[in-house]
Amino acid sequence: MCYNWACPVSISPSLRPAAADFGPALRVGIVGCGKIADAHAEVLTFLPGATLVAVCDREVLLAEQLAKRFAVPRYYTDAAEMLAAEKLDVVHITTPPAAHLPLTKQCVEAGANVFLEKPLTLTAPESVELIRAVEAAGKRLAMNYWPNFEPQMMEFKQRLAAGEFGEPVHIEASIGYDLGGAYGQALMSDPNHWVHRMPGKLFQNIMDHMFNRIVPFFPDGDPEVQAFGFKYRTEIRNDSTDALLDQLRVVLRSGRLSAYATLASQAQPVGNTLKLYGTRATVEVDFNLRTVVTTGSQRYPSSLGRLFPPFQQAMQYLRQGRKNVRAFRQHRFHFFAGMTELLTQYYAAIRSGGPLPISYAEMLSTARIMDEVNAQVYPQNNTPNATDGGAA
Amino acid sequence: MKILITGAGGFLGKRIVERLLAHGQTDLRCMVRDVAKAQGLRDLAARHNVEFEIVSVNMRNAAEIPAAISGCGLIIHAAAALKGSPAEMFMDSCVASRNLLDAVAAMQATSPVRVVQISSFGAIDVNSQPRGALLDERVPMEPHPEKRDLYSYTKLRQEQIFWEYQQRFRFELVVLRPGVIYGPGGGRFSNRVGLELFGRFMHLGGSNLLPLTFVDNCAEAIVVAALSPQAAGQIYNVVDDDLPTSREYLQRFSQQVQPMRAVPVPFFVLMAVSRAVERYYQRSKGQLPAIFTPYKTMAMWGGNRFTNAKLKAIGWKQLIPTNEGIARSFAWFRENPVAKK
Repeated sequence: MCYNWACPVSISPSLRPAAADFGPALRVGIVGCGKIADAHAEVLTFLPGATLVAVCDREVLLAEQLAKRFAVPRYYTDAAEMLAAEKLDVVHITTPPAAHLPLTKQCVEAGANVFLEKPLTLTAPESVELIRAVEAAGKRLAMNYWPNFEPQMMEFKQRLAAGEFGEPVHIEASIGYDLGGAYGQALMSDPNHWVHRMPGKLFQNIMDHMFNRIVPFFPDGDPEVQAFGFKYRTEIRNDSTDALLDQLRVVLRSGRLSAYATLASQAQPVGNTLKLYGTRATVEVDFNLRTVVTTGSQRYPSSLGRLFPPFQQAMQYLRQGRKNVRAFRQHRFHFFAGMTELLTQYYAAIRSGGPLPISYAEMLSTARIMDEVNAQVYPQNNTPNATDGGAA
Repeated sequence: MKILITGAGGFLGKRIVERLLAHGQTDLRCMVRDVAKAQGLRDLAARHNVEFEIVSVNMRNAAEIPAAISGCGLIIHAAAALKGSPAEMFMDSCVASRNLLDAVAAMQATSPVRVVQISSFGAIDVNSQPRGALLDERVPMEPHPEKRDLYSYTKLRQEQIFWEYQQRFRFELVVLRPGVIYGPGGGRFSNRVGLELFGRFMHLGGSNLLPLTFVDNCAEAIVVAALSPQAAGQIYNVVDDDLPTSREYLQRFSQQVQPMRAVPVPFFVLMAVSRAVERYYQRSKGQLPAIFTPYKTMAMWGGNRFTNAKLKAIGWKQLIPTNEGIARSFAWFRENPVAKK
């Protein structure tokens, strides 16, 4: 069986070309200067072969602060004006998702490639329309699924491709969200926050990160989806924030393979893991610890089989820790290392016309699963037949 | 005259309301963003046996503001962001202020209004001054806010916006720049004292005088300036007298609140570390954030002092002596220990 992650496209940092090897630097702009734009600007500041030349936000004060803090030469309040003046090679769109479709169309028509924040759009049909627009303009698109390009995920993909874990039997993706944290408070204290207006509300803003880890294991079509959404918190504010569900459990199945996705907003610490149960070994990727740890078959008889495994696990963590220290010493252990890797691959694909780091089929499959989840957990807001977006 | 107080549910805002009541001002409209914070104001009204308006407004939404300021002759703008992502802080400090001022400008022709803005010492160009110098209100504004901490940047930009609008629309503007506002319900340590790093408290303030202002004293300064005719177009530093050094504050905290095992970091060591951190940030391509740079360190821990003479000249008197302010604060800290994470 070939699943998409068995054929990873990886550029080892040690093999990565120097800045001079890229030719002229790609001219990059950012549209949407909110919270996540900081991460993009931070990565672009040090990324070889690309220069952040302009930023844009309808709110001039937001555009100004991002430009000044990251020494970006120019800032705009009108995307059309920026596109006309700057002749950009790539635009990073970091606006709320409702604007993704019109802005993407505007960018590709102006000759720019597009790097989009998740989620792709608000619905799968919109996502299809977006990808068709990119293809019609002859441009290229990537989404910021940066955790899937973190060092530990690159290692996981390589070991998966090497057959170390055997055939996948079941997959679990788990992600947390701290509603009491700074970002959570921003949306919980504002009933007009754009998150409350999305079909899947909070889930739609973060469930990408679960499904985009699962989808590559279902290359032959969308899995069956059973979703359960509910509310753990008890406080009632008597505004639209009350409608927001904070717990999501999803079971997915296709053929012999099943998957389970957990989004928990109250559990501490905030988790972020991918676990694969394979026919040879079970492996867990922990995005917070940056570790890949397997649970292999027992090799010792009787009670010895219960005695040694903790030490075997400890040795794995030790080896992972050493690897991380080595990466840190070599300045390859940035917080957004995954975004650096993803952008490096994406920009290389733009230059060479080679394969994109994330296929459009995966993006659309993720979008359709999200539509299905929304229809099941928020049936009053989402029609059951809203998921008719076919692969581009 | 109806007085609007933005951020009225906050640490400083509630005290401003109290001081306004003490000055005989009872025609108040208290603006809060989160209705959950209004209960403290209702309690306050009940204690003083008065009634005032409480309005819930999200100042990010410009459309909500005109009705909220309508009929007010004085606006005391105490709402600001203290933490959050850069975009959140700019939205809540700068965009919110700009939205407020747009509404003020629209109202100015028919209904003149005086505006009082609460700025910060963070807006001042302390690095242009000799280390340890006594600074008054004539020191220019920071020319490189992007090199400072985020809070200072937002407060500086906020004050700039107020002066820009004042120049364009000619309303009466009074700006107050408090130092470190402290008191029961407030924070335990300003960054000027030190920071917790890797589970240890690093004492960075050494023998610097802490530019403290007890929250009631600060609120009194705001109200005195807000009601003083001669304050129009003026800037006032807000800082108390008889200030402790950072070391004295920390020692007293250790004795009266909870023992602190702080690691003292002399200024020259801190500067050397800051240079190293800045170099590492560049060499490692941002692997660790440049939380210390020589520029930030000089501004935060350079030991500048601030005079309050101009504030006293319009009649401000320190209500609560510093010793008592610290004692009240420490008593509250003892009764409300920080929950361990």
